[in-house]
Amino acid sequence: MKNILILTQFTLREAFSRKIFIMFSGVTLFILAVAALIFSFVSVDDFQGMVNVNGSQLEIFDKIVEVLKLVIVVPLFGIGIFLAIFSTSSFIPHMLEKGSIDLLLSKPVSRSQVILGKYFGGIAVVFINIAFLILGSWFLIGIKFGNWDPSFLLTIPTIVFAFAELYSLLILIGIITQSSVLAMMLTYLIYFIISPILSYRDNIFSFIESKTTEYILETLYYVLPKTQDLSTINSELAAGGSVPDWMPVILAFTFIILTIATSITIFSKKDY
Amino acid sequence: MNCIEINNLSKIFNPNTKKAVAALNDFNLSIPNGTIFGLLGPNGAGKTTLIKILLGITYASTGDAKILGEDILNYKVKRKVGYLPESHKYPPYLTGEQVLKFYAKLSGYSHSELDKRIEHLLKQVKMNKWKNTKVKAYSKGMMQRLGLAQAMVNDPELIFLDEPTDGVDPIGRKEIRDILFELKNEGKSIFLNSHLLSEVEMVTDRVAILDKGVLLKEGTVEELTTDKEIYNFEFENFVNANIDLYKEQFSIIGHKGSKLTVTVNDTRELNKLLDRFRNDGVLIKSVVPQKNTLEDMFISLIKESEENK
Repeated sequence: MKNILILTQFTLREAFSRKIFIMFSGVTLFILAVAALIFSFVSVDDFQGMVNVNGSQLEIFDKIVEVLKLVIVVPLFGIGIFLAIFSTSSFIPHMLEKGSIDLLLSKPVSRSQVILGKYFGGIAVVFINIAFLILGSWFLIGIKFGNWDPSFLLTIPTIVFAFAELYSLLILIGIITQSSVLAMMLTYLIYFIISPILSYRDNIFSFIESKTTEYILETLYYVLPKTQDLSTINSELAAGGSVPDWMPVILAFTFIILTIATSITIFSKKDY
Repeated sequence: MNCIEINNLSKIFNPNTKKAVAALNDFNLSIPNGTIFGLLGPNGAGKTTLIKILLGITYASTGDAKILGEDILNYKVKRKVGYLPESHKYPPYLTGEQVLKFYAKLSGYSHSELDKRIEHLLKQVKMNKWKNTKVKAYSKGMMQRLGLAQAMVNDPELIFLDEPTDGVDPIGRKEIRDILFELKNEGKSIFLNSHLLSEVEMVTDRVAILDKGVLLKEGTVEELTTDKEIYNFEFENFVNANIDLYKEQFSIIGHKGSKLTVTVNDTRELNKLLDRFRNDGVLIKSVVPQKNTLEDMFISLIKESEENK
């Protein structure tokens, strides 16, 4: 456990030195500044006045805040995860470079501890940055609209969990290929193209009447990361709702366990 | 007790393929505690592979080994081991001091006096002036010095050094040699891989020669460099006229004035020759077995090994 903690801290330090935090903080501050600027043009009294005419003040006011939250969270899910993958894709290939890996493995650290340390380190990096952004947005909305609904903060673990699923894949590809570019490209492919397509497989089935294709798509859906579904859950939570379907969460968790276990098995058998 | 015990260790890279390479072949070796041991061999002999197997960085195909009495597969034994790899890469964003702290912690060395130990080690390798400089600014020699400190940071009982003087100037090499002697005096065992045979000759107690994964010879430097079959004689009154008579009975390979070089098959023959000298009234000033340098021995052994293949 102590070794995992040391490696996690070390990964955080690596992220800090590679200006990952500065990059994330820059993007975060930019997003918050844009939001603050937009908010400065919006008068809460105007909304309330408008709502008073229609006679249902509270409901519409909440609806506006809900939309504002979605305007922040939905792109944030995409941008945040995009940046997170970009920033962490080199962690494993760098670690596996000749000279680094020899030293690391010559220490009293098991190979599973190395993988877990890197995994939790990457998650910690993303957690800190996402938490900064979401908390910043929450404060802005709270200060401007007096809406301090804590359910908005549930998007922090949701986004981090979606990243954790993709990061486990990033680690597996990194260990097999030792290439950060390949690991990043394959993860983006799944995140931006395959996962959204598979999420709408029911619509595809209505166009294609092939049982084989249906079977393949259905299998791929259950096997590959379900980031699109997690994005939907994230939006629901941001809007103050609850998790509509726990199945993607359970499948994502299973995916993480299996992928990390496979990474450890492959890493434990490799010669360096 | 032995600090290293290797039994029938073999390593084949890419087994069952056309690219299969036997890096180690049925290798056996025992190294006593407190020894400075030198492993020599040409490039690709399997020296680094052997160290990597002992440290669990690479796995053996067959055979087993123990370090400090523990199976090499037990990673916890590495708490008592230090390692300086041939090509080492430290996180460029850390300072020399931070590098030592990180690897000390990772080695399970959480001693309350870690800061003092790091200070002492940095002084020992003459890097204390650079302790707060990021390692990306270090030269090759500085990296090597830091690497040596890193290998010692957890106060190990056994230290593996792969080309420790690579890139280090002559003064630095002398300083590294002194550190190795200090470590030996503290009772540490050192396993040294080096191409610099003259240096190995200066510091090691025992040496092994490895070629193409096969152990060719092992012993003390004295044993390996002393050619027991060739002797150099020096006389007070050797008469040139007698030489032909000697040549009939003994294999004389050199003769100059009062000096004679003779090859004998064994100790019995050597004594027979000595008796003959005495019977002839020849006064012997000295009899010295011919000594080769480690380099001479290494080259002839590798050549012999090549010819036998």
